[in-house]
Amino acid sequence: MTKAGGASAVRPDLRRRRKGLSKLEQGYMGFFLILPWLIGFCVFKLYPFISSLVYSFTDYDLFKGVQNFVGIQNYIDAFTKSKNVKALQVTFAYAFMTVPLKLIFALFIAYILNFKIKGVGLFRTAYYVPSILGGSVAIAVLWKALFKSDGVVNTILTMLGFESINFLADKSWALFIICLLRVWQFGSAMVLFLAALKGVPEDLYEAASIDGASKARQFVSITIPLISPVIFYNLVTQLVQAFQEFNGPYIITQGGPRNATTLISLIVYNTAFKDYKVGMSSAMAWVMFVIVMVLTLISFASQKKWVYYSDDDGRG
Amino acid sequence: MKKLVVCLLAVLLMANAALAMADGLTFSWWGGDARHEATQAAVDAFKAATGTEVTCTYSAWSGWEDKMSQYFASDSAFDVNQVNWNWLFSFTNADGSSKFYDINEVADVIDLSQFNEKALAQCTVDGKLLAVPVSMTGRIFYWNKTTFEKAGLETPKTLADLMAAGPIFAEKLGDECYPLALGSYDKMILMVHYLECKYGKDWVVDGQLNYSLEEVEEGLAFIQSLEDAHVIPSAQTLTGDGADSLDKNPKWMEGKYAGIWEWDSSASKFEAALNEGQEFIVGDYFTDIGEYQGGFTKVSMALCIANTAADKKLAASLIEFLLNSEEGARLMNSQRGIPLSAKANALCQAEGLLNARVAEANAKVMAWCQNALDPQFEAAALKNSDGVYADAMEGLSYGDYSIEEAAEVLVEGITEVLEAA
Repeated sequence: MTKAGGASAVRPDLRRRRKGLSKLEQGYMGFFLILPWLIGFCVFKLYPFISSLVYSFTDYDLFKGVQNFVGIQNYIDAFTKSKNVKALQVTFAYAFMTVPLKLIFALFIAYILNFKIKGVGLFRTAYYVPSILGGSVAIAVLWKALFKSDGVVNTILTMLGFESINFLADKSWALFIICLLRVWQFGSAMVLFLAALKGVPEDLYEAASIDGASKARQFVSITIPLISPVIFYNLVTQLVQAFQEFNGPYIITQGGPRNATTLISLIVYNTAFKDYKVGMSSAMAWVMFVIVMVLTLISFASQKKWVYYSDDDGRG
Repeated sequence: MKKLVVCLLAVLLMANAALAMADGLTFSWWGGDARHEATQAAVDAFKAATGTEVTCTYSAWSGWEDKMSQYFASDSAFDVNQVNWNWLFSFTNADGSSKFYDINEVADVIDLSQFNEKALAQCTVDGKLLAVPVSMTGRIFYWNKTTFEKAGLETPKTLADLMAAGPIFAEKLGDECYPLALGSYDKMILMVHYLECKYGKDWVVDGQLNYSLEEVEEGLAFIQSLEDAHVIPSAQTLTGDGADSLDKNPKWMEGKYAGIWEWDSSASKFEAALNEGQEFIVGDYFTDIGEYQGGFTKVSMALCIANTAADKKLAASLIEFLLNSEEGARLMNSQRGIPLSAKANALCQAEGLLNARVAEANAKVMAWCQNALDPQFEAAALKNSDGVYADAMEGLSYGDYSIEEAAEVLVEGITEVLEAA
């Protein structure tokens, strides 16, 4: 009795203590488990993020370090020096050309692949392959070979009786070639569109058909609204990616001809690692960040007008 | 929890200590396959002779300067590095100190008496010898004799010959063929050579551009006249070729571009790139440009010891082996140009190890070029693909700038860099 009574007298206390310790341990354990990520985040994201903001107000040189606080001079240069202004213009042109083209192309292919046709699985895989290959160095080198003056594209053009085009040396064509490389990687956007298209209830189309709606009308009035959340998601992610593009112009044109393909990301790299002006480079990076953030905020604000969420009572 | 954190810290410390204790050297260089193979063989011989482990990092030139600037800036450079001459001036700390170790401190290991004073002086900054010069170089013409013969011409001996060759190439070989091909930086060096031959003045003196706006306009007019006379392809044409460099351009390989204005140390690379059956020859300097022997020579490349190297004597012993030892000289031969080391040079000559073309070109360059080169000539802000030289030369070729405007871009850009130095 005594034994049992003793045990029962101790046990609740122990249990309480264990329970308390366990909570503490659980807290520590959770912290410990996220520690690698937390260290990585602080060292590789948070610290560079904050330090680049500080550096953007200095004349930080890669070798000489910070010598002077220059206030907003770097930001003034970002918007006044002709090379930087040109890079901003080119980046906007690039983003506003690639994003709509890529979304339209991805949606078009997804729409076709949504039909019940033979070998559709093969087509889906084939169209997704460019996204796996991505904008890698190898693909950029291949792109350059395709579009050089005696490349495959020009060979085909001349075989068809057209004049060859100096794609890489012509200021307008060069930017288009860089855009095309990104548009070509439409696979991931296409897969998301395909999933969204499959989620559109068949009965809506049947009802619309009975009411006499044409296929085009069905697409505009049923398909587009119902997949608008995915369009919105793709729009935001593609916009962010477009402003971050680096590989294509760096490898294919090195920003040329005559800075026609010099995007902000390339200016950021060149200013830091070729001219050693890290302060100026940080300012350009922050300009890029703010532009992307503002465009994202505009996109989010605009979704109330055109994105349809099925759990809402109507639009947005 | 505490135990886990302590264990983690201990493991990190042990790993760090293990890395710090690892002996041996690290060595970096850029170049082509032939240089990589020769250097690797020399490093293996050093390992066999001394038992020192050497970890090598090497690549082609493209992108190498960006990479090395980051290594040096972050004080994580390799122990021994092949460096470009202008790096000795641009890789400096805020207090003006260098990222390179003073070679004079290890003069007991490296036999500096084998190198001529002029070359050593070019690598000396504030009384410190920052690197050991490997070879001297300068620009010279090379011609594809076979293509000239197809056009019914001899290779140019004068500027007048070259100017006359342009239209003949277009007529007999087609619009795609040119007697000479020049990138933006090549154009810049040729323009300076032209002006130095005419006026006999160094390009930069006492940190100031020594040529007036009108003289620079004259130089640019000369470059434009080459393009107008179908002597060189336009910037558009070269860009459209889609090649990273002229030696990788199919039109050079096939002989459609029949001449280059290149470093003497690059002869073997361009010769090797030609398709079979084409004769590659070293050209002569033109005597009808002016009354002076213009053009400059510079240290082609040098070997340095990083200030951060753990064992500087050991690093010095690797440099001594590569540049001055018989075995090193035999294995490296003229893969980095004609060796400056008197001992290595004599041995290579005696054993016939020098590339004949490189040796011929180097002899001509050294005999002709009389002007000095300011290290800022190769400053990144000027020389890079988006730098001042490219802006002026491409702008002129694309028609974005008139000759006067291009001259202004050039003079203003160069002055800005010189003032900032």
